[in-house]
Amino acid sequence: MDERSIGHFEFPILGRAYFLGGRASTSVKKALREAGVDDDTVQRVAVACYEAEMNVVLHARSGYVSVDVYPSRVDVAISDHGPGIADVTKAMTPGWSSASDEARALGFGAGMGLPNIKQQSDLMSLESEPGQGVVLRLTFYRGGGNGAGS
Amino acid sequence: MAPDRDETTVRHMAEALGLTVLAGSACLDRPIHGALVSDLLSYVMASGRAGDVWITIQTHANTVAVAALASLAAIVVAAGFEPGDDTLSRAEEEEIPLLMSSQPAYVLAGRLFELGVR
Repeated sequence: MDERSIGHFEFPILGRAYFLGGRASTSVKKALREAGVDDDTVQRVAVACYEAEMNVVLHARSGYVSVDVYPSRVDVAISDHGPGIADVTKAMTPGWSSASDEARALGFGAGMGLPNIKQQSDLMSLESEPGQGVVLRLTFYRGGGNGAGS
Repeated sequence: MAPDRDETTVRHMAEALGLTVLAGSACLDRPIHGALVSDLLSYVMASGRAGDVWITIQTHANTVAVAALASLAAIVVAAGFEPGDDTLSRAEEEEIPLLMSSQPAYVLAGRLFELGVR
């Protein structure tokens, strides 16, 4: 944590706007590429970021993604204003989802989002205040972290 | 980047399988490295690899976001489902080839496998 951030980006996420889903993550992907982050790390951040963005879109009123690039890692925080997560352990269970029927019809709500985020990232922490929102913090080590899909 | 001579490209797939190109026609020379069939977006995010073709019956604009973020080669909408204009414009914007076919996903996957895409 003693490294100095060499790039900082923030992008807003609009809750309920299903058809804008992915805009923030696309912006993150472009910004990381422009910052010279390696393809594998960019891919892992993009996939995790999209899952987290869709959680905000599907469940919360609004949120934002904040990214800090360091020489050896990328830190991502996704914060939202929304109902929060009542039972984090349950939410982390593959296959468990509280998504609406509308969201499920679009191919979301398979209960794979948070497990997928955990798999893509090197460090993950989830803080939730029921009725207030969620803060999800992720760290991706550049170059030497988890291989995507491994 | 010019594809290898024996590498299957999106254009080659479109011709061999008789697909209709709906968007992203400027990106048809992209090489195909594999394929997957799914209508669950999270499954595609978890399992899709860069250069994969994604065969699905989902037609909404989020499919394009998923394909772009997972660096997929193309989306093929199967079984005659038709993407709306918002999906098409997003595909142009994100430079994702979007193709369609009246054939079911099972048949398209089989023909893609026969083409040598593994």
